[in-house]
Amino acid sequence: MMGLLSYLVFFSTVASILAIAVLGLNLQWGNAGLFNGGVAAFFGAGAYGALILGGTPQEVHLGGFGLPFGVALIGGMFAAGALAWIFGRLTLRLRHDYLAIATFGVAVTFENVMRNAQWLSGGAQGIRGFARPLQAELGAGLSYNALYLAMVAALLILTYLFLQHLSRSPFGRLIRAIREDEEAAQSLGKSPAKVRLTAFVTGSVIMGLAGGLYGGFYAFVSPQDVLPILTFQIWAMLIVGGAGNNRGAIAGAFLIWGAWTASGWALSKFAPVEAQLYAGSIQYILIGSVIVGMLLWRPQGLFPERLLVSHSGQNNRTYKPAGE
Amino acid sequence: MIQHMVDGVLVGSIYALGAIGLTMVMHMLRFANFTHAELLSVGAYIALVFDKLFTSLAPILATKIGPLSMTLALSLAMIVSMALTAASAVVIDRLVFRRIRQRGDMLSMVFASFGVALILRNVIGLIFGLGTTLYSKDIAFAVIISLDPLLMVRPDQIAVLGVALVLMLVLHLVLSRTIFGYALRAVAENASLAQVNGINLGRIVVAVWLIGGALAAAAGVFYGLTNQITPVIGRDLLMPVFAAAIVGGIGSVYGAAMGGFLVGLAANLALVILPSGYSPSVPFLIILVVLILRPNGMFGEARP
Amino acid sequence: MKKTRHMLRMGVALGLGLGSFGTMAAAQDCTIAVGAVLPTSVDWGRPIAETAQWVVEQVNGAGGVNDCQVNLILRDSQVDPKVGVDAAKALVDLDGIQVLLGAVSSGVSMPILTSVTAPAGVMQMSCCSSSNAFTALAADGKDNDLWFRTFATTTVQAAMGAKVARDQGYKKVAILYKNDDWGQDMGKSVAAFLEALGIEVTANIAINDAQPSYRAEAAQAIASQPEALYLALYPTEGTAAVREWLSLGGSENMIMANALKSEEFRENVGMQYLGSALGTDTASPREDSATAFVDAYGAKFGTAPTGPGLANSYDATMIALMAMEAAGKDAKGPQIAAAVARVTDPAGTPVSADAAGFLAAKAVFAAGGSVMYQGATGNVQFDANGDVSAPAVVWKFGDAGIDEVEFLSLTEVDAFVAALK
Repeated sequence: MMGLLSYLVFFSTVASILAIAVLGLNLQWGNAGLFNGGVAAFFGAGAYGALILGGTPQEVHLGGFGLPFGVALIGGMFAAGALAWIFGRLTLRLRHDYLAIATFGVAVTFENVMRNAQWLSGGAQGIRGFARPLQAELGAGLSYNALYLAMVAALLILTYLFLQHLSRSPFGRLIRAIREDEEAAQSLGKSPAKVRLTAFVTGSVIMGLAGGLYGGFYAFVSPQDVLPILTFQIWAMLIVGGAGNNRGAIAGAFLIWGAWTASGWALSKFAPVEAQLYAGSIQYILIGSVIVGMLLWRPQGLFPERLLVSHSGQNNRTYKPAGE
Repeated sequence: MIQHMVDGVLVGSIYALGAIGLTMVMHMLRFANFTHAELLSVGAYIALVFDKLFTSLAPILATKIGPLSMTLALSLAMIVSMALTAASAVVIDRLVFRRIRQRGDMLSMVFASFGVALILRNVIGLIFGLGTTLYSKDIAFAVIISLDPLLMVRPDQIAVLGVALVLMLVLHLVLSRTIFGYALRAVAENASLAQVNGINLGRIVVAVWLIGGALAAAAGVFYGLTNQITPVIGRDLLMPVFAAAIVGGIGSVYGAAMGGFLVGLAANLALVILPSGYSPSVPFLIILVVLILRPNGMFGEARP
Repeated sequence: MKKTRHMLRMGVALGLGLGSFGTMAAAQDCTIAVGAVLPTSVDWGRPIAETAQWVVEQVNGAGGVNDCQVNLILRDSQVDPKVGVDAAKALVDLDGIQVLLGAVSSGVSMPILTSVTAPAGVMQMSCCSSSNAFTALAADGKDNDLWFRTFATTTVQAAMGAKVARDQGYKKVAILYKNDDWGQDMGKSVAAFLEALGIEVTANIAINDAQPSYRAEAAQAIASQPEALYLALYPTEGTAAVREWLSLGGSENMIMANALKSEEFRENVGMQYLGSALGTDTASPREDSATAFVDAYGAKFGTAPTGPGLANSYDATMIALMAMEAAGKDAKGPQIAAAVARVTDPAGTPVSADAAGFLAAKAVFAAGGSVMYQGATGNVQFDANGDVSAPAVVWKFGDAGIDEVEFLSLTEVDAFVAALK
């Protein structure tokens, strides 16, 4: 029983961290209609930023400023925001699919730089020498993990409340107005570019927060943590949970991460020994099928209270005002 | 430097073939199709199967054509593969994309295409194993064209470029000289209006998938011929092909072809400036630069 | 409302299913669980897992560990750190393992160590993680003495590569290295050692995974006009890069790291071009134990044990099982980790790396003694940081398999490395 509890605490921590990232993406896509194909870059900027600022000095790479975790976390968020601001200015006026590919490119470039610039990031070997916050005082074990989960959960709730509030505020209405009809909003004197950039940067800062918490939890980050598969996973969580709906975002995170880990566990438990070696490929096929199946069954996601209207060209969707 | 440029053009022909199919689908059906790149893998493996089949049925077919490593068996296998891959593209559309088109939005389509890509890739991995195979183990040596500046080219690559150009020419002729080509362009321009004129939209969609699938298969076979065959061909070629389609402007076949060559050139020239560790970023830097200067790609148009 | 009820029902079912865990460990035939987190969905990862399974099979055939059958629970890491870490956590918490084999890539092994195994007191044995960050971590004591790896650090291989270049009289060498943690390390070390020997490094080029073509990199290497090529690559990109290199007229003088000791590489490049190719490795084919491994592997799987990490995986698994035997029934991770010293004691009774050896070791442990494990990678000895140093061998591709060209004992290797520094 203790084992199960320990595992669930660990699982929930990771799922909650990913949920924070999904919330950030929901602000960008669900509210502002911005297709961010480079989630991994902003998540990664947060993780690397926090670990570089909070780690112990290393001769192999930059960092080791030894700042307290809270400060390091904010530093990571700032890094994510800065990255978003620079690339947002360049690319946000692009149409959907181009924006997706351009932001995907940002993520690929970020991973490349982290992999090759060894003086900055430790290269492919990752950041060394980070000690989890308060680990020395509290020791490792279930109680530590439970406390970390409490911290992550609190941040998740805070982020959710912040985004809900934002959504109902004049700024939230403004974002959606610009998404619906840019020219009308412009005619009223609003600046779409600035508003979109603000939404993009805010969403990315939230992703950076998730990244920092991720790095802190594993006490390690390497280029392998910021590969495209991460972007895909975060998006899948948003789509399956229901884009445009913050509750859907959180549900999607737990569901997809649960399905991802459970499929691996189930295959190892129930597949015959000879098939174990192929379990990896089978798991990808299962995951692909779950995603396609979900999309065939409920294309609007599990929590479809808000359906999206995107840019022109699509006329088979309706928009319902925010009830959430 | 010249060597890099020549290499770039030669590898670009493969990207161009893949990008043409992708750009047609993206423009017609309005979604970023992540499955398209897997069709290259499918094409390469189907050709592998038929190549072995033909060679064992009629060993005479295993003779190489001239200085190329392409055999008669492989040429026949490629044609068969183009047909079968085209058919499978239509089947996938029928099974998955059409249904989602009717009920979901662009995003769902993109995701479904991602899911299908994962499935295709891993099914190929289960059937053929995860390792590397080749059409021919022999190493084809580059011919020295000039010594100063040093310029070396493999006959295979010239052949690939040649056939790719021929295919593009054929497509061009079809698009500009035949009624079917006009119908395709009309639908791409304005689907409703085209239907008013009696064009069957469903058939055009099928045609787009067939053409895209066939070209992708050709690209896959050429890639396998000049490099190697692994189940992850689709994953590895996804981004260069996308980059080519976007740089050229979605919907423009000529743009996709140019985009392919441009991406190939950029990827090879990049080594002159950047350390090779950064090569994967180069297609994107190109995209960023092109899109900042021309937000709809080189030949694309803003969508109405 | 219906939706919510439906989901509630699903949730309850899931909860019940998970809850039955606790009761499942009820008394059956005695089995003991060992966990493995390995990248089975990658082509070179599957044989590594297969080898571990094979060891477990042999030990079970000999009666198991402490008279209990060993259940090797294998999870795919998907080379994704969060997936690997979650799998490790599930193994530790839900299956109650005390020993974890894994992972292969350092990016996965490290977070498993820092967030799962070290905090939980579970021994972690990796066949293949090469980053020297682990040495630093262990030296700081952060691994709680639970970390071991049967993969020799890159220093030895790199030094051997440089020695081969010197012995062959190459004055100018270009390096192609895989752009991951292992390859980056190798590239740097080899370049440093070559320069220490007065050999010019004309190019040091990163080869990225999953790149469609390596033509440009091969062309760049050729343009720097080296006499020989050093390859720190895995078979997939190694095949592609070498074929490009050769087709551009590159020299057949090649020096290969041990990852290229692979059938796939030999097949796809062709023996006709590998005549002047020499490789380095930290296995020692000369010792009987190593040849025994090669023969047994051939008998079991029908091919030679080429490919990265196989011998290391074998030894990692066998040593872990022997340590579990030595620590006794119901031993916990730290005790098993402490017992590893009794398995790899240079003054102990030599035992072979198979079922017979396991039985012999079992008897010795029961009598309170220790053994010297002679494995597929030779006589394994861990240092205080869980690292192994090993004798070195230079090999080449022979008609039937791998032929040994030169062998250096541990002392000779250490002396050579020391002289270079």
